[in-house]
This record gives sequence, C-alpha cells and structure tokens, in this order.
Amino acid sequence: MITFDSVTKRYPGGTVAVDELYLEVPAGQTMVLVGPSGCGKTTSLRMINRMIDPSGGRILLDGKDIQQSNPAMLRRGIGYVIQQAGLFPHRTIEDNIATVPLLTGWSKPKARERARELMDLVGLDAQMARRYPHQLSGGQQQRVGVARALAADPPVLLMDEPFSAVDPIVRASLQDELLRLQGELHKTVVLVTHDIEEAIKVGDQVAIFRPGGKLVQVDTPQRLLAAPIDDYVEDFLGFDRGIRRLSFLAADALDLETDTVVRADTQAAAALAKAREAGAQWILVIDSERLPQGWIATGSLESMPGDATLAGAGLKRYGHTFRADTDSLRAALDATVLSPTGQAVGVDEAGRVVGVTSYDRLRAAIQRADESDQPRQSDQPRQSGQPGQETVLSS
Amino acid sequence: MSWALSNASMLGHLTGQNAYLALVPVLIGLLISLPLGIVSARWGWLYPPVLTVTSVLYALPALALFVVLIDYTGLTDTTVMIPLVIYSLAVLFPSVVDGLRSVPEPVRQAAVAMGFGTWRRLATVELPIATPIVIAGLRIACVSSISLVSVGQLIGTGGLGYLFIDGEQRDFPTEIVVGIVLIVALALVTDTVLVLARRWLTPWQRGAAATATTRRATVRAELRVRPGPGGI
Repeated sequence: MITFDSVTKRYPGGTVAVDELYLEVPAGQTMVLVGPSGCGKTTSLRMINRMIDPSGGRILLDGKDIQQSNPAMLRRGIGYVIQQAGLFPHRTIEDNIATVPLLTGWSKPKARERARELMDLVGLDAQMARRYPHQLSGGQQQRVGVARALAADPPVLLMDEPFSAVDPIVRASLQDELLRLQGELHKTVVLVTHDIEEAIKVGDQVAIFRPGGKLVQVDTPQRLLAAPIDDYVEDFLGFDRGIRRLSFLAADALDLETDTVVRADTQAAAALAKAREAGAQWILVIDSERLPQGWIATGSLESMPGDATLAGAGLKRYGHTFRADTDSLRAALDATVLSPTGQAVGVDEAGRVVGVTSYDRLRAAIQRADESDQPRQSDQPRQSGQPGQETVLSS
Repeated sequence: MSWALSNASMLGHLTGQNAYLALVPVLIGLLISLPLGIVSARWGWLYPPVLTVTSVLYALPALALFVVLIDYTGLTDTTVMIPLVIYSLAVLFPSVVDGLRSVPEPVRQAAVAMGFGTWRRLATVELPIATPIVIAGLRIACVSSISLVSVGQLIGTGGLGYLFIDGEQRDFPTEIVVGIVLIVALALVTDTVLVLARRWLTPWQRGAAATATTRRATVRAELRVRPGPGGI
C-alpha cells in the first residue's frame, strides 16, 4: 500500500507542483492519476521512487516512510515503466529485461532465464531475446519496458504515460495486456495518463487532478462517471459519460422479455395471441435449439392463415445479439439501438436466446443498477487524510 | 620504388615513430577529455567556457608552442607531443560531451528509476551509448595528429616528416612522395582499426543500426573537422 500524507512539492521559484496530497493506493490495485499537463500527476508518481523528493509531507510504502530508504535500493524494489519505453539501446532485449536482477546480483544465466520467462508473460516471441531495441516496433518495445519493470518481481509498479507514444490500436492492445497481467499478478500499480478513457479502462480507482497540483476526486471509474464531484471533473470526463458508465453495469440486471419469443413451429394464431397479450409489436422466432431466426411483426401475423406455422414466414433479421450473462448494459443498449425493431436479442454462451430487450426494460435495469450502487457510497466515505479508506480527497 | 625497398628498415622506423608521436597524444587527449566531458555534460554551464578554452588552444601555432616549450622540454618527443595533445583535446572534448548528451532522456531516467547509482550508470549506460560519437571524434583526432607529426621535423623529431625535409634538401622527389604515401597509409590503417573497434564495441549499431539521434550527432562530430590547427 502506498500512502501520500499531506505531500507537497514546491519548487524554488514558488511553483507548486503538488499541493497537500492525501491519497491511498491499496495493495494489489491499479490507481490511475489523470489530469491535464501541469496538474502534478507525474511529479506525484516520481515522488514514490524518490526521483523527486517532496518539500512537505510523507510518503509511506507499506507504512514505512520512503525518505528513510536509500534511493537506489528503494528503486530496485519498484518497477518503473516510462513513456517511449526508455530501453537501453546498447543492450539486447533479454539483457534489458534482466537489468534489475543483474543489478541486485543475480548470476547472468539465472537473470536471462528470468528474462525469457517475462518475455513469455508479456507476449514477446523468444526469438527477440537477442535483438536490440531499435529492431522492435514501438508496441513491442513497450512490452519489453513492462517486462523489464517486472523482472525482479517488485510489489509496486509505476507507469508514467506508458502507452502514449504508440498508435491507438497498439495502445488498446497494450491496455488489454495490462489488465490481463494485473489479473494474474495483482501488483500495486500507479499509472499516470492524460487520457481519461485509458484511466477509466485500466483503473480500479481513478484520481483526477487539476492544474496547480490539486487532487479533485478519487473514485472507481463507475462512481466517477455516475457522480462527478464538480463541473471540472464532469468536463474532464467528457461527452456521453452517461452511456460510458453503462460499461460498468452488467447486462444480467436486465429483466428480459420471454413471452414474445416463440418457436418456428408455432401456429400464427397462437403467436398472434401471445403478441396481443404482451402488447408487443414484434415476435422473435427461434428454432428448436432456441437459436434466433428473426423478427416477425404482429401486422404480418394478422394477414397469415391462423393455422400456418411461422417457419415459412418472411422474417426480419435479428441483428446484433449480446451475452445476457457476461456483457454490459452498454452492449445491450448498443444492440438495442442497432436493432431494426428497437429490441435486441440476449443470448447465452451457446448463442441460445435468453430473452429480448426493450427501451423500457433497459431503463428499469439502469435504475436498479443505480439503486444497488447507491449504498456502496457509505462504504467509501469521502474524507480527508484518514488511512484505511480507499477514497480519500484533498481539500 | 627500389629506393623505398632498399631503405625499408629506415622507413619502418620512421613510420613507427610517426605512429607513436601521433597516437600517444591522442590517447592522452582522450584521457583528459573523458573526465572533462563527463563533468561538463553533468554541469552544463561548464561546457561553453571549457569549449572556448580548448578552441582557443587549437588556434595556437605549433611553431610558437615549440619555441616556448623548447626552454622546458628541449628537443624531445615531449615537445612535439604536447601541441598534439592540445589539438586532440579540441576535437575530443566536444565529442565526449556530444556523446553523453546523445543518451536519450527516457533512457537516462529509466536507468535512474531502475536503481543505478551515478557511477554505475555512467559506466554501463551513458559511456557505452556515447561510444560511437567518441570514436567518430577519435578518428578525426588520429588522422589529423598523424599528418601533423611531420611539423615536428622543425625541431628534428617529425617521424615521416624527415622524408620531406631530406627529400627537399637532396632534391629527391621520390622520397617526398614515399613520405606522403606512408602518412596516408598510416592514417588509413589507424582509421580502419578505429572503425573495427567501433563495430566490435557497439554491436547494437550493426546493420541498419545507428539510431537517428546517434547518426545526427556522429555527423555533427565529423563536420567539426576544421582547417588545420595553429595556422598549419
């Protein structure tokens, strides 16, 4: 756990880079520091491994004041990933990765073996071990940077705008990779970015800073999107936060309609009766395996002979489906918006129909999710400088 | 040609002397430039004044230096080598500083963040990365030093320069031509050795290697060839 206790960084000219920062980074979680340039996020990060020393306050690493530690020793226990990777151009990939193990006195064969393990962990081909950094793409270099930071298995990982120098597609895959790694390794990660989307994607918690080194709000991404503390945070979160927030709400909160789902061997009259009973405009036709076939309008059912089955009827394509058990409400909403009938098909693992959405059902699900989210507020009270709480705010 | 063959032993001796008189001063220049460059790269404000001093020294005519030095060191190798040390310094000192400055900032910061101490970082990260640029400076210093040695013949210690004076006095152009050819050959051999040394010391730069920054800085160092020092 990393604790910032009233940490201030003031430069000789009087510029305040970080102003009275209280922040707790719980062990095993990813804390993202985000804000515009000049907000003190990078300074805060670099104070953790003493690349910058604070002018006031204390930083505790697992309860121990880092000012008491020898900087070089402290740093060998803290992984550091820098923008543009910062690989040593004169060392091979494996020797780059083995840097900290070699510094701490491992034998060369053991350190190289560890390097190979890490290359595998971050998804780098073993053939690259003997290459030099300039022979790798930007994305591959950044993977090496992550592997190098993890080599000595430090409990803490600092990442300074790690993905900002690569193109958006590579960035997205590196972010996914980080999430996967973090799922396996549970490091205490502090990541700095100016990209709020990245913060929301990779952070367990996000700390939003404002110019002048002020921390404005710390919360889970979901809580931030639902309840920004002020206009600054709301502006910073940007457009369509209401929709983006749905990414964090599970589609299993949806109460899916099942009455308007009928098998293809049903007779038209029976289907029509069901539709009228449910007051539905559209009926979803499924096969005997419960796989979706398509939509039929109640109007079409009326014009069909009552004893005809739906098997031969002309069906409207059912469009995108979503996983009712694992997708988010955002996926369900998206499928609904894209559907020609304004209703989307929720399926299970095998693609079998679970039920269908409607805008009313989506609204009800969002409401339910919000209500169930409310009580959690009291679990995470916002207060200043009290250790033991996840959410701590500066004044 | 037959003259050269019949005097092979004398020519070999002169070539060896020329190499010794030229390269020892470059080595000494490098040994002075390294600490001076390291200090100037670290405390940037030192660089302009030190550079001014080394550049002004470069402008001192060798002849004038000989006149002054003879009083102290006499008609010896040392008197010939001291000006050459000074000239090497003018080329090598900025090369060392440029080389150290070519270390990309993220690389330097990463080294700090990994827990390298100052000296270890210098020895295992910064100096290796500076090597190509320092060697580019060494190539210029060596080649110009090899040709400058002949000026030492003014005080009787000029390596292959002996052949020029002797050829002139005896009105025997072959000797002069052989002297020029041997100086050029010595310069080429030295340069080749340095290129091989660079390839061996900087395996990461092989092939399409040199990164843009290093290449730019190397070109800068090579462009710093000036008209001969001290009005020669």
